[in-house]
Amino acid sequence: MKNLKLTKGLVALSTAALIAVFTVAVPTVARAADDCQETTIPSGIKVVDIEKCTGTDMNKSKYEIIMPAKFNGTLMVYSHGIRYNVNLPAIPVVAPKGSLINYAPEVAPSEEVAAALLAQGFALAGAGVQNQGWNLEESVEAALQVITIARDKYPKVGKVVAWGNSLGGLASQALAEQMPGAVDAVAPMCIADSAQAEITYAGDFLWGMKQFFNPAIKGTNYSAGQAGYVEMLTDLGTVLTTFQALQASITVNPAAPEWPATSTVPAALKAIPVRSAILLLGLISGVPTQSNTYDASSGPAGALETTFGLAISPALAVLENGAQAAVLAVIANYDMELRYGGVVFDNSKTDYAKRLGDDSDIFVAALTGKTATAGMLGYLSPLNPAAPRVTANAAAVAKMNSVYQLQGKIEVPTIQIAATADHIAPAGAAQYLKNQYEASIDIKTSKSGKLLTIWNKPAAEYTTFSAAGSPVAPTGVTNGTQHCNYTTSQILAIAKLAASAAKTGKIPSSTAVKAAIKNEPNLFVNPNFAPPLLKFRQ
Amino acid sequence: MIRIKSMKRVSIVSAVIAAGAMVLTTLPAQAATPGVTASEIKLGISSPTSGSAGTAYGKIPGAMKAYFSYINANGGVYGRKITLIHRDDKYLPVLAATRTTQLVLPDGDGVFALVGALGTATHTKAYKAASLAKENVPDLFVNTGYSGFGDTTKYPTTFTVLPSYAMEAKIMSKFIKENFAGQAVALIAQDDEFGIDGVSGFKAGGLTIASTTLYPQSSLTDARAKSLLTGLGALAGKPVLVMMGTTDVTATILKAAESLKLESKFTWIAGSVGGDANTLVGGFKVEPATINGMLAASFFPDAKDTKDEYVSQFMKINAKYNKGVSFDNVVLQGMNSAMLTVQALRAAGKNLTREGLISAIENKGSKFVGAGLVPLNYSATSRVGYNGYWFGQLNASGELKPFGGKLSIFTTDSGDGAIQASNFKRPTMPKNGIPTNS
Repeated sequence: MKNLKLTKGLVALSTAALIAVFTVAVPTVARAADDCQETTIPSGIKVVDIEKCTGTDMNKSKYEIIMPAKFNGTLMVYSHGIRYNVNLPAIPVVAPKGSLINYAPEVAPSEEVAAALLAQGFALAGAGVQNQGWNLEESVEAALQVITIARDKYPKVGKVVAWGNSLGGLASQALAEQMPGAVDAVAPMCIADSAQAEITYAGDFLWGMKQFFNPAIKGTNYSAGQAGYVEMLTDLGTVLTTFQALQASITVNPAAPEWPATSTVPAALKAIPVRSAILLLGLISGVPTQSNTYDASSGPAGALETTFGLAISPALAVLENGAQAAVLAVIANYDMELRYGGVVFDNSKTDYAKRLGDDSDIFVAALTGKTATAGMLGYLSPLNPAAPRVTANAAAVAKMNSVYQLQGKIEVPTIQIAATADHIAPAGAAQYLKNQYEASIDIKTSKSGKLLTIWNKPAAEYTTFSAAGSPVAPTGVTNGTQHCNYTTSQILAIAKLAASAAKTGKIPSSTAVKAAIKNEPNLFVNPNFAPPLLKFRQ
Repeated sequence: MIRIKSMKRVSIVSAVIAAGAMVLTTLPAQAATPGVTASEIKLGISSPTSGSAGTAYGKIPGAMKAYFSYINANGGVYGRKITLIHRDDKYLPVLAATRTTQLVLPDGDGVFALVGALGTATHTKAYKAASLAKENVPDLFVNTGYSGFGDTTKYPTTFTVLPSYAMEAKIMSKFIKENFAGQAVALIAQDDEFGIDGVSGFKAGGLTIASTTLYPQSSLTDARAKSLLTGLGALAGKPVLVMMGTTDVTATILKAAESLKLESKFTWIAGSVGGDANTLVGGFKVEPATINGMLAASFFPDAKDTKDEYVSQFMKINAKYNKGVSFDNVVLQGMNSAMLTVQALRAAGKNLTREGLISAIENKGSKFVGAGLVPLNYSATSRVGYNGYWFGQLNASGELKPFGGKLSIFTTDSGDGAIQASNFKRPTMPKNGIPTNS
């Protein structure tokens, strides 16, 4: 609890929560007055009568509460995922039209989901946190405040489900762990791992790009003030042009693409197809080998039919996923360094050969064999002065880790969903929560039967090819890949299961879960399925 | 207002639930064994039937199905029919993971056990992705010589069937030293566990290799093969050229030699995984004259040896239950693994469980009968099946005849153990090829 910067009133609540036997009255918190309007929203062919209230909590986070006229008694409190904490000019891929820091409240993962839930009688609430970037503490507090405000305004609220995407999923879980009794069920979706685990994931990939492909990438240790901001923007441009060069090289010669001109690795390394170097970086960082376009299985008809899936597709998947992971690394490193007062990424002691593990056998063909793999790992070795490691600022890391870390202490039914090829919050983050929970049961801190994990996987084969044999980018987004890329029906299934769990205090029966996902071929439940943890955790 | 749960009420409810759970745990386990009913045993196999690996090894699942059909027609295993579900993984690791998961998931195919998976990279990925260890899924008779699958800590449910590549290389070393002393030896091997195991085996076998070429899987093109052979052609005399790779690569090298007219320049030795004459000639169109005289290691009888009782019986089964598929070493291997599977299921008893099946192979597997001419090595501490080889020479008809006219079998281990001549005598085949063990 000490990690939460709670308001006086809410501290009173949390203290009371620990000792209360019955209902606790919460002092009214000081905040700006609500602005409530009765209106309607369309939901399919229906029109739903609602009351929408907006306001600002006492930490100046904006919030929104939507109460349907036909309320079913359950409030769904949504925590949004990470947003950029900087204004960005127009940058292709990252912010094509430019972007300003977004403080708007969100009450659901999408308007369509919101409309569907309101039509079913759920009340919705959510905040736009006053500080963006990696704002776990603020996000938890914002969720707690909006719950308090909603309960205060609508005493008819019976059950509360905390749910969220990515960092918001982590915040929902952190809220439930720290504030037992505040919520009745939790539904973390595409849950993020801790700040250190996530920055290690993205940072490893970015560091590898710098060493292999473009030493001009700064990656870490951005300067203070305007100079640092310019460095960060410059890095984004450098990363993107490096990816473009890699993409162009692979397009020209997929089997044996050349290294980009900016690379300074020795000629012997450049004899290895650069796709193998891209794949190696993905594997040592934990970037999924399936992406929106590439399934690591399909191939064009003809000579490359199996070679493409074996040796080329996994690398292209890493390239597609890695572009966004690297961009995230740049922006997140910049944000966290400002937030925590120094460099937080650290690979000074990382053993990348160990990190590669069995993947050196599994992807040996795509890595161009054992000899090439050893050569690439040798270049990334700490003994190579040409590839200097990064040492973090210990005080900054300590500050980063002083925020609440998940314990897996689960007291209310918790239903999480995670995609096996999520490239921003890899499935290992959800597995980590599972592991923490199981450990918590072992030490009798938690009771069993409170956590259900639903996995979202892509189809076995989904890459399509043109008549000329070139891979074709899908028109939509491939379910099971990308970050928090669930369909509306999948999200609604999770929401309904969580709401049901909130009412009963139990995880729905396996029959009920099967029924809820029976029309979702990309969802499955298997208690023994265990995706690899993020590399930081291994 | 925030309603905080009544701790007293929760405590009481928890106590009741806990008491209920205690009562339940004292009852006998009622859970059904996955993939097993009173009338059926569902097995699964993920292996390639398309792509180049499919051309080389695609007959395995069909051969296994044929043998199981034969057993089913003869009463099944303790009255249960065997159903084998095959999923094509194209020899691709990520696809193998998906296929294997699909086979094992209760809401997928829900098989009882896996049999005959093929490939090191594919199965390494699949084993972990499908949580075979956690699910305790028996993983029988994997077709790879990678010695790493013998690690019971990482692969507690796996049994491989082929001798390890290291064993093969060690025995090959002895064979070459004894029969081709003075000739330079060149090795062309896959640059993965296949080749690494092989190189370490040659080292343990004390063989001096003049030239070692390691190539990544799927990278040995016709052009590279020609370039390699042109270079190796400069070696004096009639060098021994050892090919430790898959059949498609053996074919690529031999066809390159045909193109360069270098067929007679080398003494060719094909590793056991890449030396099936029928596949080389029939599947990959290597000239029969090229394979004439080629040496190959094997632990099976020659698939063309109709005098061999197992070959003869399997041929009959193949003709009836695998119509239109020519009989060769790959079919022989598939049927043999199916026969081992039936014995394992029988040995596990009528009350079939996953634990029981694994235990049965550990305790009785070394006594299973099969076509292999070398001993089976299963025990509580060994998960590698066959542990030896004999050397033969192919003729233009693709028949593998014992080198020097006499069948000489050698056994060894994957480490530094001795290479020993074996007097192993294969047990007589059960009547009509139908196991009756228990």
